[in-house]
Amino acid sequence: MIFEPAQIEISELGCERDDRLLFENLSMKLESGQILRVAGPNGAGKTTLLRTIAGLFDIQEGEIRVNRLPLKECLDQILYIGHKPQVTRDLTVLDNLKFLTGADEARLKSALGDVGLKGYHDSLVKELSQGQGRRCALARLWCVEAPIWILDEPYTALDVEMVETLDAQITSHVNAGGICLFTTHQLPQQLDYQTLELGHVD
Amino acid sequence: MSIEKRMLARELKLIAARPGDIFKPMWFLMLVISMVPLALAPDSDLLAEIGSAMIWVATLLALLLNTEHLFQSDFSDGVLEQWLFLDRPLAWLVGLKLIAHWLFHVLPLILITPIAGLMLSVPTEVLFALLATLFVATPALTCFSGLGAALTLGSSRSGILGVLVMMPLFVPVVILAAGVLIRATDGSDTLPLMALLGAFSVVAATLVPIAVSAAIRLNIGGSN
Repeated sequence: MIFEPAQIEISELGCERDDRLLFENLSMKLESGQILRVAGPNGAGKTTLLRTIAGLFDIQEGEIRVNRLPLKECLDQILYIGHKPQVTRDLTVLDNLKFLTGADEARLKSALGDVGLKGYHDSLVKELSQGQGRRCALARLWCVEAPIWILDEPYTALDVEMVETLDAQITSHVNAGGICLFTTHQLPQQLDYQTLELGHVD
Repeated sequence: MSIEKRMLARELKLIAARPGDIFKPMWFLMLVISMVPLALAPDSDLLAEIGSAMIWVATLLALLLNTEHLFQSDFSDGVLEQWLFLDRPLAWLVGLKLIAHWLFHVLPLILITPIAGLMLSVPTEVLFALLATLFVATPALTCFSGLGAALTLGSSRSGILGVLVMMPLFVPVVILAAGVLIRATDGSDTLPLMALLGAFSVVAATLVPIAVSAAIRLNIGGSN
């Protein structure tokens, strides 16, 4: 599928947590087809920035507009996968995805095949390994139609093969007109991305 | 499938996965009730007199027991923050969660209270009043303890704190319910007090989901 042209406009964004200034006067514009990697040392505010853009944190200073509308009105355009598990341990893989995505069973099963969890749909998440649990959370990238992806540390606990699969999926998403923001400490080899360095504020 | 159906289906699956969540408070209720005649003199007149109040308080405590962690596991798994991206207002989803909780966790408690009533030889007409007050008052109690649970999501020992914070809201409900039970024992008119209890539940069910959603947003905003 092809997305309508999308854009995120961030102007003069500033954030302070526990009396520490994480970033200020951050302005940028992201458009369809762009991948942005938010980089910086631990504690630089990468997660805070991503969660702010995802609408999970209140904006302290500045403004974020998605497709020229205020962020709060566009949350359904966003797919956010944080570094928490994002899945319920006591439910099966399929039930978790059914609740989170609302997609039909055939589509979910094919998404599970894409992330290498074919045949695991009836397994409880707590029976899976950590990497498989992560794959289950990431399976949403194969069955949700949101143009803006915000991924916090998506590569954690993934094996080499899954990292490649994920890179390919991100590439095909932005080629279809999507936008992707992510943080990672591993440098993705196969992605064409821009980098935003945080952590230069004194 | 609509979001509402997905929420309810998920609640049912969670119950199937964690049946202890339902049965533990029921055991607790029956345990308290079976201890009462042992701790007091086994005098059936005395038991009949205080029995309905004992059952009421035990049901309230059992309800607090199964509501104190209402949002906790979803919060720490990061599933709760995904609710913000669903195409519905958060207060609506919270309302659904509270309704599902009342239906699947609180209603079973109410349904076993007649057995507890028989154990304490509570007279039949008082037993009916007891059931009626529980039906009418527990929606308010569920809402209030859910709000306590949401307010204390971010703190580590949240259970008892949430209950303490909400205590002032439980008190009028308990007083009204006790009034109904006393009147039922006397055989006088219980309707005015029942109507007040009902009003409490209606107001709570309308306003509390909004407060809970604000509390959830606050806690999500303050966590990584």
